[in-house]
Amino acid sequence: MGLFQSSWTTLLANVLIPVGILTFSSGFFPYKPLLSGLATFDEGDQDATSAVFDKVVFMVVDALRSDFVYSNESGFLFTQSLIRSGVALPFTAHASSPTVTMPRLKAMTTGSVPSFLDVILNIAESDTSSTLASQDTWLAQLKARGDQLVMYGDDTWLKLFPGMFGRADGTTSFFVSDFVEVDQNVTRHVPTELAQSDWSAMIMHYLGLDHIGHKAGPRSSYMIPKQQEMDAIVNEVYTAIQQQPHLQSTLFVLCGDHGMNDAGNHGGASAGETSPALLFISPKFEALGVRQESPIEAFDDLQYYRTVEQADITPTLASLLGLPIPLNSLGVFIPEFLDMWDSRPQQIQMLSRNARQLLNTVQATFPGFAFDQEAIAGSCATGADSGIEGAQCAWSQVLQLSSGDITNDETSSALESALLRFSRIAQDVMSSTASNYNISKLCLGLVITGVAALLVFPSTYYECARSTYTGVFLAFMIVGYGSMMFASSYVEEEQQFWYWICSGWMFYLHIRSQSPRTGSSPTTGGLFLRGSKLATLGLAVAQRVLRRWNQTGQKFAAEPDIARTFFPAHPAVFWGLFMFTYADAGYHLLQSLPPAAVLKLGGVALTALAFMFKLNFVANDSPELLVDSFLSKTAENWPESLSLVLQARLVFGGLVCCAVLAIGARYRPSTKRVVSNTLLHEALHLFLMTQSRATNIPLFLVFRVAALILSSMRLTGIEVTITTLILQYTTFFAFGGSNAISSVDLSSAYNGVGSYSVVMVGILTFVSNWAGPIWWVSAGHLLRPQDSLEDHNSASLLTFHVATSLMSVMAACTALRTHLFIWTVFSPKYLYTMAWATANHVGVNLLGGAGLSSLRSRK
Amino acid sequence: MASPASPSSVNTTGSTSQAPAEKPPTPPVNILPSQLAQTYSYAHPAILLGLGAWRFEALVADPMRELLADLPWLAALQISYVMLCLPPAGAASVEAGAAADEEKKKAPRSPSGPSVTLRPGKPGYRRKQTSGKSSWTCVWAKLMPAFLSLALTSLLATPVIAVLLVLFGAPLTTHNAETILCAAHMALLSATALVYVHGVDASVWKEVWGIARPADAVWGSALGTGLGAWFGAIPIPLDWDRPWQAFPITILTGAYIGYAVGSLVSRTPFIYGKRIQFAPEQTEEDEKKTN
Repeated sequence: MGLFQSSWTTLLANVLIPVGILTFSSGFFPYKPLLSGLATFDEGDQDATSAVFDKVVFMVVDALRSDFVYSNESGFLFTQSLIRSGVALPFTAHASSPTVTMPRLKAMTTGSVPSFLDVILNIAESDTSSTLASQDTWLAQLKARGDQLVMYGDDTWLKLFPGMFGRADGTTSFFVSDFVEVDQNVTRHVPTELAQSDWSAMIMHYLGLDHIGHKAGPRSSYMIPKQQEMDAIVNEVYTAIQQQPHLQSTLFVLCGDHGMNDAGNHGGASAGETSPALLFISPKFEALGVRQESPIEAFDDLQYYRTVEQADITPTLASLLGLPIPLNSLGVFIPEFLDMWDSRPQQIQMLSRNARQLLNTVQATFPGFAFDQEAIAGSCATGADSGIEGAQCAWSQVLQLSSGDITNDETSSALESALLRFSRIAQDVMSSTASNYNISKLCLGLVITGVAALLVFPSTYYECARSTYTGVFLAFMIVGYGSMMFASSYVEEEQQFWYWICSGWMFYLHIRSQSPRTGSSPTTGGLFLRGSKLATLGLAVAQRVLRRWNQTGQKFAAEPDIARTFFPAHPAVFWGLFMFTYADAGYHLLQSLPPAAVLKLGGVALTALAFMFKLNFVANDSPELLVDSFLSKTAENWPESLSLVLQARLVFGGLVCCAVLAIGARYRPSTKRVVSNTLLHEALHLFLMTQSRATNIPLFLVFRVAALILSSMRLTGIEVTITTLILQYTTFFAFGGSNAISSVDLSSAYNGVGSYSVVMVGILTFVSNWAGPIWWVSAGHLLRPQDSLEDHNSASLLTFHVATSLMSVMAACTALRTHLFIWTVFSPKYLYTMAWATANHVGVNLLGGAGLSSLRSRK
Repeated sequence: MASPASPSSVNTTGSTSQAPAEKPPTPPVNILPSQLAQTYSYAHPAILLGLGAWRFEALVADPMRELLADLPWLAALQISYVMLCLPPAGAASVEAGAAADEEKKKAPRSPSGPSVTLRPGKPGYRRKQTSGKSSWTCVWAKLMPAFLSLALTSLLATPVIAVLLVLFGAPLTTHNAETILCAAHMALLSATALVYVHGVDASVWKEVWGIARPADAVWGSALGTGLGAWFGAIPIPLDWDRPWQAFPITILTGAYIGYAVGSLVSRTPFIYGKRIQFAPEQTEEDEKKTN
């Protein structure tokens, strides 16, 4: 009812916001035009070059950061011995952002730079429109040659390449708490496959190391044993290549799809995330005589040995296997392998095939630029050594040199470097212009959102004008937040803004409560009055604790905090707070339940069940938290028969009963109105706790204290709206959220879900990441003054804030679309703003809020 | 803010009449009328800013040492400023009263004028004090409050401001020395003059805690120090990797600038004597929005 009682302008504005988002997104995330079909050799090419290898074992270890293999703290001892003997050629493969699995696999197989849209598709895993079935990859080339391919490991490969593999066994990558079984599921196939001779490509994708990173970080005690386990597989495969006659011409590639940051997450563009290891291993490489030092002292920027692009894997692999280079590849052949061909003309031909293939993609993207000899004869006059002009210049040099005598050593080495130069420039040009934006759609989306903001502006202005100072603060906040969106570091450190504004707002509330003319009315008791004098101090302390709970963002992410530094060091304090939070939740739930013995008993059972579920979840998920604590025994004794899924379902079922009870109580004349609202709030409280990481659970205690203090302050309607708005954002970041894709918390996304379902997992993911905001929306309804509800139009105020912030993010993305950080900072921010505007604003604030107030106002 | 806010729409004059039982609120403080005091009161913020700019590089190079080394100088500057330009505690009411008399002749600029003149001033007592001053008693009357203000600033104001700094986000587990030094500087900037002028008058300090003092040079500079420090946090998250982005430097720079701006702005006729409160007044918007 709340939504509908607010004026039609608010309603219309909230219809326009999703429309604006859709319009803007369709212009901002375009599908790249791709050359279709499979590449073929030109006439005459086929004879000139011969394949060096006829089989490939492609072993991907998810999140295998370069230092995991190369540094002196690594568990890959056998692999390091291979590097020392020159059998393995080590590289650091630069993985461009977004550093999540699916786009990285696309880069490694097609050689292209995937669009940002792949990130969303990576999360919405069931999407099949993003398959590579119709694209040119080295796998498709092998398949087209009539070869057999086998695949074991991450089932992303099966989704990307449906029908590609003759034998396959996929493991799902979303149950991140499993370190062991995902890898055993791959390893158990290795001996049988190595004994077979019918395949020419075997792909293995190990997930365990990535899961360890997500759960416990790169320095976890599980890390070294896992590396040793992977090293043993390298040993097994290499030994087979040495000994089995049918594997004697096999190339073994060991690589990571991306790395991880110091927290063990990935998705962004930090050095840790973009620097996976890449090794080409074969006894044949010994002849190259490249013997590198290994292990190497660990260092910060992680660029071990030479850094190549991840896309370079594709042309290198294709050339070594004697395949045409896939059409859309932007990779450059790794020149270290040129000496695998004996004759100079062959080497030049490898490079020139690569260069001509790149030239085709450049010409497809830039039809306006000519690359024939006459047109670019004078192109070097401008002196450009990058960009499309630089490519023209480099190509003219290539043409000039290739008309000369290739058998001449001097000419051929000049031609070699010219070809490589052109290829690298072309790669640069194509990677940076990977997306062409539809500017008119961007502007249209911006205008639609602007109209939405304009629609609610009058009522917002009216609200603000009624209470000058509050309005001025809100205006200051909105303008500050909007302008912040244009600076990449403020986007990365958005939490600092909200902590800063939050401390300012607490101060505002402090002045307000001190002012003798507002605050508590004279009828309240003296004790209460004195309490409220110091109340804001308590609020400020609560705010300060929130701020330090999870360090987030980029700049200060590694600094010590409560959840990741203090609690692991003081498990007793953590578990004490943890149990107290559950006790408090149970107590309040009992208080809000109708006074019937059965119901009370049910409430106790429900809380106990929720507690046990969380405890078992921790025991399963991050057992290091339980070590040495008095609860580890309890967790051990819990019957194994009750699976986590069943436990979660029981908890959710109980919570649904509470909600039904609360809504039912509304229709019974005997119950008070407040009862049903508090019961709903308490049920939600328990639900949000279930959906939060264990170390964040004591935060709900802090929330409780803050809400108690706020309720004693007798805030007006607009003050409640602003307080909850600020606290929604503040608590989102306090839970560890940030504007980086890597901070999306998936650990609670599968509670009670047996099989993958987009809707369920999507909702649970949203709830577990937006737990703080959702809590404060509900708490805001309890804080709202009973009598002046009808008076204050919070919907228009919230809509105005959301529309303006959306507008500024869109404007920033449009204005800075050529910015270096557009894909790493601004686009993720846009995705987050989408979630804030649709799920949190329209879904939770407006629809949820409307539901709550309709319950409340019905007589 | 309909019903609960209705009392808030009562304006300034309403407030004074609402609390008749308590003694009337302490009026805003004026700079001493002498030529020297008037001139120096304008020069002092400029001198502080100039010195701050001069020592900035040294501050960036070694914040701890520089902040510590600057403390005695800042204290000396602040003490000489208050002794030169401000009426000491105890004499405050008298001086203010006398000043108000003079103000009346000059211009009817003070909106809080009524509350000043309505105070139960004792004309005879005042005249005796002001006319029969020997130079020694005068200096003694200034020295005592000066020492009192130094003592209270270092012992009481510094820890309180340090706690406030932490509540506003200063690191708690590290950088403690920096926080204390930063608080000491801010306390010298804000509290020295407040204690010197008001002593330990509980009603004034209640107003200070509630941010409800009428605007004058002393309160304006104190509030400006706090606001400046709050705004000083803005550049810290930027990824410029400059050494001056380290914790106490921007905060203190903001505090110094805020001090200078606050002390000058709050003396302009437009602001002078006004209070921050929940009444619809436009003039204090800036102070309000930033708390």
